[in-house]
Amino acid sequence: MPEIFIDNVRYEFEGKPLVLQFMLDHGLDHPFFCYHPSLSIPANCRQCYVEAGTPVFNRETNSYELDESGERVIRFFPKLMTACSLEATDGMVIKTHRTSALVERAQKDTMEFILVNHPLDCPICDQAGECPLQIQTYKYGPEGSRFEHKKVHKPKRIKLGPRVILDAERCINCTRCVRFTEEISKTHQLTIISRGDKNYPAVAPGTEFDDPYSLNTVDICPVGALTSSDFRFKARVWEMNQTPGIDITNGKGCNIDVWTRDNVVMRITPRYNPAVNDHWMPDFGREDIRRMNENRISKPEVLLDGDRIKSSWNNAELNFTENLAGLESNEILVIGSAFSSVEDNYAVKKLFSTLGFNHQVFVPNIKEGSGDGFLIDDDQYPNTNGCRLLGFEELTSEKLTLLLSKGNFKMIVSLEDDLVGRGVLNEDLLKEPYFVYMGSNHNKTSALADLIVPIANSVEQSCSYVNSSGRIQRTTAAKETLYTNRRLNLEMSVGRLDRYGTKFDNWVTDRNRIDCIPAWDFIERVATNLDKQTGYESASEIMDEIASVLPAFNGLSYDRIDDELGVQIIGDVSKVTSA
Amino acid sequence: MSETFEFTKEELAEIDKIKAKYPDKKSPVMPVLWLAQNKFGHVEPEVQQLVAKTLDIPAAHVYGVVSFYTQYYGTRKGKFVFDVCTTLTCQLCGGYDILHHLEDKLGIKAGETTEDGMFSIQSVECLGACGYAPMMQITNGVYCNHLTKEKVDRIVDDLKAGKMPEFEQIPFPQHQNESSK
Repeated sequence: MPEIFIDNVRYEFEGKPLVLQFMLDHGLDHPFFCYHPSLSIPANCRQCYVEAGTPVFNRETNSYELDESGERVIRFFPKLMTACSLEATDGMVIKTHRTSALVERAQKDTMEFILVNHPLDCPICDQAGECPLQIQTYKYGPEGSRFEHKKVHKPKRIKLGPRVILDAERCINCTRCVRFTEEISKTHQLTIISRGDKNYPAVAPGTEFDDPYSLNTVDICPVGALTSSDFRFKARVWEMNQTPGIDITNGKGCNIDVWTRDNVVMRITPRYNPAVNDHWMPDFGREDIRRMNENRISKPEVLLDGDRIKSSWNNAELNFTENLAGLESNEILVIGSAFSSVEDNYAVKKLFSTLGFNHQVFVPNIKEGSGDGFLIDDDQYPNTNGCRLLGFEELTSEKLTLLLSKGNFKMIVSLEDDLVGRGVLNEDLLKEPYFVYMGSNHNKTSALADLIVPIANSVEQSCSYVNSSGRIQRTTAAKETLYTNRRLNLEMSVGRLDRYGTKFDNWVTDRNRIDCIPAWDFIERVATNLDKQTGYESASEIMDEIASVLPAFNGLSYDRIDDELGVQIIGDVSKVTSA
Repeated sequence: MSETFEFTKEELAEIDKIKAKYPDKKSPVMPVLWLAQNKFGHVEPEVQQLVAKTLDIPAAHVYGVVSFYTQYYGTRKGKFVFDVCTTLTCQLCGGYDILHHLEDKLGIKAGETTEDGMFSIQSVECLGACGYAPMMQITNGVYCNHLTKEKVDRIVDDLKAGKMPEFEQIPFPQHQNESSK
């Protein structure tokens, strides 16, 4: 197998890896700015310099030339090479800053040039704490600068588009953002304008950076030049917890990181998953923080003599069971939701199936033609295939309306899905029966409910979704509810503020914890009241049960989903129909 | 009132000829920008859009090219544009003196245009005539070499009278020696 020697250590490689990526893959730290594994390689920042050489091969003797001590003679490239664009070859010798004083010096000097006009305003910069320029300056940068003249001033606070703001002074012209619009989102909206020390990225005059993927440029910006107009100045990186999750605003199911501070979701960034979204996600997925934080249903609500009043959980359970009592099998309609998780849907379906109520339907939310073939799917809901696999009957809006107007339903139980708001049902149809809405947010449908059960959403519990291409992926609780605790639930991340904050600090409050429980938990409580308890204690137990009951989910567990970054459970999505 | 900019049929045929010389879509942008600038006298954003549309390339790319070169006029300039070189060689030989003299004489700063629309001044990077420093170029045309304040005054007066300075042939030193022999 071909070999490469990096800092006098031998590594074997296959194919034609690039030296920088190879080093990163093997845990060798190396400074760089412009390189990005998913973009083309311009090698313009010059920060990843290495000394590189190849052994001298003698064609006549068909062997490597050796020196007096029997070592291979290495012919080094006359100048330093950029590791990002250098392809590894057999026998190549690489010297990095760890073994070469020249490389160490070169990195320092390059950094000194990069910093000539950089404002060094880290204390007020959003990127501070997660800034490659900052980190690498600490690690590899010069002690000071020999450039003592006045820095070149460039425009600040330029609104490139509705979601992205540019600070041109901070920009180091790595062109990652430009390459992103050219190669990934293909809108070609950005370019580097002007020349020399005056250049910075910009849009063509009269246009704006309204790319549906524009915020990815903020993520890949290695400095604080591009910032999100939404997240700007909201939180410092080190105050937040970072928890893996799934974007549920779309059928694609982009992998995300959920950033929370004091149980408020501050921002969402994409998480790398080569099988789904690579390093990217659409902008609207990030705006989902509003749904997670605002307009939440907290504490159950019941309708009493026409007035909606907050109620206790006990009372909610009691209301639910009392209304269930004595109903015939065709008098209850259970509406599952492609917006809710596999576990929640399964728990609801299981209870009602056990009780003999088999009208279990769901209405998908697929807008034909709204997708773009990249990360925006026609399917507006994250779990349509999950509902199909669980066996909910797939209905259109018309069919559900017909069913409701013809049927003699006394009770409707609906999992989170704004059926009225998205125009599936006319509100009159829900007024007559006893309507239970289990959801996280107030909406037009919840407004009609006789009983509202507040349930934990995708960032308050572990739950899984089957995306539009048939891959099951799961979220982790990022935000505490009134009944969960970061320090007890080892899956939840604990940031500095959580670890060191107390209730007497003004940065930690209970205000942002919602009084809600997972839907399966509420169903389990109701089942217990009806002596049908299953003993679920966590969502992962439900997943284990689903895996043993439903063939499509065979062999699944949370551990496996975690290890494999999601599992493809449907081979051909077009063949999936609800049983 | 907004002007509309369009290429005529003949110009489009010319552009097709230019396009045929290059293997890809982006490359013809510079000659086509020249063509547009010769026609309209500038390549303001509307013209950039026209070029982008004609060549089917991103407008941002055209903007990037226009803003890179001082020879393309991204905003309207005067009838005569003084491109005064202020890169190293000219700078050492008094390029900034010439620039500031011009600024004082015309009452405008570099990057501005006189009110009568006659003159614009730009401070530009090396024009490749270091041997004749300090120098300037007039409206992407004639090079005026070995500038002195007096020579600049004369050039401005000549231009006001409608007389373009003539192309100066300056032989290389080695050729000078040959001719003197």
